[in-house]
Amino acid sequence: MEGIIAIWQRDMIKFFRDRARMIGSFSMPILFLVVFGVGMGGAMESLVASGIGTDEDFNYVEFIFPGIVSMTLLMTSVFSSLSVIQDRDFGYMREILVSPVSRVNIALGKMLGSASVAFVQGVMMFVLMPFLGISIDLVTLLQLLPVMFMIACAFSSLGLLVASLLNSMQGFQLVVNILVMPMIFLSGALFPLSNMPGWVDFIVTLNPVTYGVDLMKNIMIDVDNLSATVQEEMGLNLTFFGQPVTMTGEVFFLLGFTALLILLATLMFRRKN
Amino acid sequence: MIDVQGLQKSYKDFQAVNNSNFHVEEGEIFGFLGPNGAGKSTTINILSTMLQPTSGSVTINGYDVTKHQNRVRESIGIIFQQNTLDEKLTAKENLKLHCKFYGVPRSKRKARINEVLEIVDLTDSINLLVEKFSGGMQRRLEIARGLLHYPKVLFLDEPTVGLDPQTRAHVWEYILKLKENENITMFLTTHYLDEAEISDRIAIMDHGDIIAIDTPRNLKQQLGGDIVEIKTTDNEAAMKEIESDFDVVDLSLQDGFINCKVENSDAFVSSFIKTLQTPLTGLDIRKPTLNDVFLSFTGREIRD
Ligand SMILES: Nc1ncnc2c1ncn2[C@@H]1O[C@H](COP(=O)(O)OP(=O)(O)OP(=O)(O)O)[C@@H](O)[C@H]1O
Ligand SMILES: [Mg+2]
Repeated sequence: MEGIIAIWQRDMIKFFRDRARMIGSFSMPILFLVVFGVGMGGAMESLVASGIGTDEDFNYVEFIFPGIVSMTLLMTSVFSSLSVIQDRDFGYMREILVSPVSRVNIALGKMLGSASVAFVQGVMMFVLMPFLGISIDLVTLLQLLPVMFMIACAFSSLGLLVASLLNSMQGFQLVVNILVMPMIFLSGALFPLSNMPGWVDFIVTLNPVTYGVDLMKNIMIDVDNLSATVQEEMGLNLTFFGQPVTMTGEVFFLLGFTALLILLATLMFRRKN
Repeated sequence: MIDVQGLQKSYKDFQAVNNSNFHVEEGEIFGFLGPNGAGKSTTINILSTMLQPTSGSVTINGYDVTKHQNRVRESIGIIFQQNTLDEKLTAKENLKLHCKFYGVPRSKRKARINEVLEIVDLTDSINLLVEKFSGGMQRRLEIARGLLHYPKVLFLDEPTVGLDPQTRAHVWEYILKLKENENITMFLTTHYLDEAEISDRIAIMDHGDIIAIDTPRNLKQQLGGDIVEIKTTDNEAAMKEIESDFDVVDLSLQDGFINCKVENSDAFVSSFIKTLQTPLTGLDIRKPTLNDVFLSFTGREIRD
């Protein structure tokens, strides 16, 4: 148990010491926020407005913001988890592996460390809310925080498994290109994914980011007061192989996903040649 | 304390360790000596559970390294060949994390940390980031960290590699101090022969084979007596003379010196000085070093 805490603590100390990284990792989400929120926002709003024909109060940035926060969670989680590759190259991983800390605790500690880093980064995105004209009340916030942490855990365990499969930091760029970016684009985080071809739909359905984003949207946006058309247009009516998706279902999907990947990562840590 | 039987390790087709057998007693310093690629690190990594042996059995402190990995891990400390400190953390943070990994009781941590830092003379640098440490300080900190949980066996894989001679001497001083105070069993590897001499026993390894195991003294004695290095105006002629007139174990020419291996240097030199016809320009008598031992076992010089 103390092993988990120690591994988690190391990530925390290093995160709070490295201010440059903390600031630096905001650049990407802010860029996306500007491009997709402000840039495409006007077009989306008029599109939706023409579709529903009323002047229902509709703010596209409200839809984008949960997506951008999820994206921050995903990127920070995966990148933090990939630091175990660096630990392996620079040796600290051996200090951990040669100690009596059980392999599953090593995986859990690392996962919690990355998730916590991502969680803090994600929460820090909230300082942008006043500039975007979005507000959040306390009750919503208290619902949102645990969900965000859970999402970060799912993404971190994914990063951990990928890290244990990669041999070197060289694969890093590859992971970003073939895993992280597609996961973001095919999740509905940045734009709604209604009326997509079947194979895209299939990927979207299996993509854990889809459910993370959807959970956050459902908590942050007052969905019930939206007209059915807006809900449909904004991709809020997710289905899982024909079944409508519920928030409880999404939570279980993410928890199951995390448990499975931690298990696989543990097996990888145990493997030796 | 360490028992190795029939240990083999191969990487694909390559045989890194061949049928190793040895036994290390509690409190002993056991040296593993061999040139680059001999299989020293491979052996240490298997003994410390970091690598799975291809075949053979290894027990440490009574526990099998493949069956009771965690028991073995609790019993050992290791200083790897490569640095495994976290440079972005301070010395204290590195040590504290180690205490947690090994479950050192909370109430004892502070005292232990101070104690090990004292041993390696780093008390003043406790709050410094490790990246600000010199190579020698980092190595000493690693040794300190390896001791924090009072391991029964301490593995040191080339603990002085890359250090200047003065720091090397320091590190060995600490290691000997430890042996005296704590009775820790130590397993060390090095390719510096002079360093291996602090061991109680030495195994010489080459190309994955252990070619000799004995005390440094016996190894040197097996070579028979002393080595007399002679320089003359005409080494060729002198060598012929020595060969016909004197009783030497071995004779060779190296770097302009004639190396005579003799049973008893006193008797040899006194008679030799009187009778040698070729004029002498230099003479040196020395005890055999482990380098001579390595040379005689493998026919090659050990080098780094
Ligand atoms: N992961 C690996 N895959 C393939 N071959 C390996 C691997 N690790 C080591 N070897 C080979 O095994 C042999 C023994 O390596 P080892 O690291 O044990 O040598 P060593 O005695 O520690 O040498 P050094 O003095 O350089 O540290 C070397 O020839 C090395 O190339
Ligand atoms: Mg080595």
